[in-house]
Amino acid sequence: MAAPIQSGWLDRRAILKGAAALGGFAVGSPAIISARAETPIRIGLVDPLTGVYATYAQNEVIGAKLAVTQINAKGGVLGRPIELLVEDSANDVGTGVQKARKLIERDEVTFLIGDVNSGIAQAIAQVSNEKHVLHIVSGGHTDTITGKDCKWNVYRVCNTTSMEANSICDVLFKQYGKKWHFITPDYAFGHTLQQAALADLTKLGGTMTGNELTPLGTSDFSAFLIKARAANPDVILVLVQGSDMVNSLKQIVQFGLNTQVHVAGLQQELESLEAMPPEARIGIWMFEWYWKQPGVPGVDQFVADIRKVNGGKVPTARHWFGYTSVHTLAGIANQEKTLDSLKLAKALGGFELPPEIKLQPNKCYYRAGDHQLMTSAFIGEAQAQGKDDPEDLFRVDKVIAGDTTAPPVDQTGCKAEWPA
Amino acid sequence: MTQLLLFNVTNGLIIGVFYVLMALGLSLILNLSNVINFAHGGFLVIGGYIAYSVTPYVGFWGALLIAPPLTALIGFIVERILIRPLYGRDPLYGLLLTFGLAFIIEDGTRFIWGAQGKPVTVPAVLARPLSSELFFITGYRLFMVVTTIIVVALLFAILRYSRLGIRIRAGTLDLETVAAMGVNIRALRSLNFAAGVFLAGLSGVLAAGQLGLEPTMGTGLLMPSFVAIIVGGVGSLTGTLIGGLLIGVASGVTAVFLPAASEAVIYVLMALILLLRPRGLLGEEGMMT
Repeated sequence: MAAPIQSGWLDRRAILKGAAALGGFAVGSPAIISARAETPIRIGLVDPLTGVYATYAQNEVIGAKLAVTQINAKGGVLGRPIELLVEDSANDVGTGVQKARKLIERDEVTFLIGDVNSGIAQAIAQVSNEKHVLHIVSGGHTDTITGKDCKWNVYRVCNTTSMEANSICDVLFKQYGKKWHFITPDYAFGHTLQQAALADLTKLGGTMTGNELTPLGTSDFSAFLIKARAANPDVILVLVQGSDMVNSLKQIVQFGLNTQVHVAGLQQELESLEAMPPEARIGIWMFEWYWKQPGVPGVDQFVADIRKVNGGKVPTARHWFGYTSVHTLAGIANQEKTLDSLKLAKALGGFELPPEIKLQPNKCYYRAGDHQLMTSAFIGEAQAQGKDDPEDLFRVDKVIAGDTTAPPVDQTGCKAEWPA
Repeated sequence: MTQLLLFNVTNGLIIGVFYVLMALGLSLILNLSNVINFAHGGFLVIGGYIAYSVTPYVGFWGALLIAPPLTALIGFIVERILIRPLYGRDPLYGLLLTFGLAFIIEDGTRFIWGAQGKPVTVPAVLARPLSSELFFITGYRLFMVVTTIIVVALLFAILRYSRLGIRIRAGTLDLETVAAMGVNIRALRSLNFAAGVFLAGLSGVLAAGQLGLEPTMGTGLLMPSFVAIIVGGVGSLTGTLIGGLLIGVASGVTAVFLPAASEAVIYVLMALILLLRPRGLLGEEGMMT
């Protein structure tokens, strides 16, 4: 048998092995993003960078990175730079929990942020609570996170599903009618959003003609739409999000259903509107933050800053969530001059965001009783085309303060147990 | 209720036709090359994004003509470089490779075109329903059905009457004998793989007109296609066709009574068929049609 041919000290196989090892290292390493120093303060961010909510998650990361850059440029936190470690939950609860544990136990993050998916956010809140890590839920909306499952160490930036429903249901009732049919995503977020909307509808004197629970990631909504149309509602309320929102609205318009019944929903996002053809951008919705707010301090600067790191595109609510989450953690730590999670969690109750962070006209603060940010709701209508800017796809009619849409603390079911 | 049921059966057939298009591509590759192609959904996405990219220059109809062959060309190259070295090995190798390839394609798509979905508009002439009553039968959906029928008919004709098709069918039964008769089975496998990927590319263009075009769109469409093959019977293209239609109808009808189970029902159906007839409806080991 012939002996293997040796071609010097570095043969092709060695190069391939080396390249593979380097690639594996690059993939396996955490995404270390910002300033490096001897002892940086680490913030872990768990979000679904892949899956149906990937766009939202990636925008949260961009917003968080911008905040990290700004904070480090101003001296960091307690004189130390901060560092963002990003992990992909892959829109899967098990993976999210595993990544949260890895960030806390192996990477020793001081703070945790995430997740877009309510189910994952709830699950990793259990982990952060067990490990006593201050945690901000950036984009998971289900009520229970700051309701019956609230925890001393968990705060939330985005609205609750009840706040969303309370901000818009009366508008929909007045303008579209009293018989509602829901297209609801079949998981925690969808369930609580639909329940909150139904509660408001009942109070207003309306009726529900049906509720189609659709599996997350549904691509074809035709069967649900046939059923919804047969129920003869005044309005079809689309509660699904992400690519499901795009698919459902696209199909509704192709079917011409929007010419037969009203079509609207509660939460809408710029990412979804941009992914739709113009004719599918219809209906009255609630945005959690919008980039066009003439006269509101700091907004133009934030838009300009995000455009620089976002391929020229404007910020969405998700950018603002990530940005606000990081600034909240840094702001409270600098204010209290400590990294002790218990002290910081106590101090965050009532903490008011400064104008350059809140970026909205109303007062914006974390409510002490349930740890929910009292952030505004932007009510308006989707626009097929932007007038002055191609990304101006939403006309804001009114901005409602968070503390007028949030249910009173005693109705949230939140009874956080604090450590001794 | 009867009308609702009839509507959903019809609607299920329309959805099933789309699964058929996907599943036939998968089935072609599986039957001849013994590769369980988990990257098939990825090729669908590539087809959709190519169509999105060329539409501004050549319009929807041009994209429909250009994107599937380009996707097939990518498939041809992938087969030549990555799949071919695995022939003759345990099918698990091919499965693992295409499984990884699916992730690479998804992330590659995200890298090139971004994570945010892209709007794809279909020609106005197709973007309206037949009537307000039969609103779910739109011009575009009819176009998808007709296109699929033509493509499936062409595929079956090629397999039955052309020399290439006869060789593919013979190769499915006994590849060694086909090779012994002087047929270049490497080229045969490459062409067959490219043909399967062509169908994925075509599915991608058609899907982009109806669904949101985004990097993960292939994932949700892939599993029903696998189920269609298993229900119909591995090795039988006719079985795949029936399997696709069957799961479409099952999903549509379930949506009337138990919407949340409309996705799960196809797996229940698969389990039932495997219990009662493990080889699938028309599956006979070694048989192609």
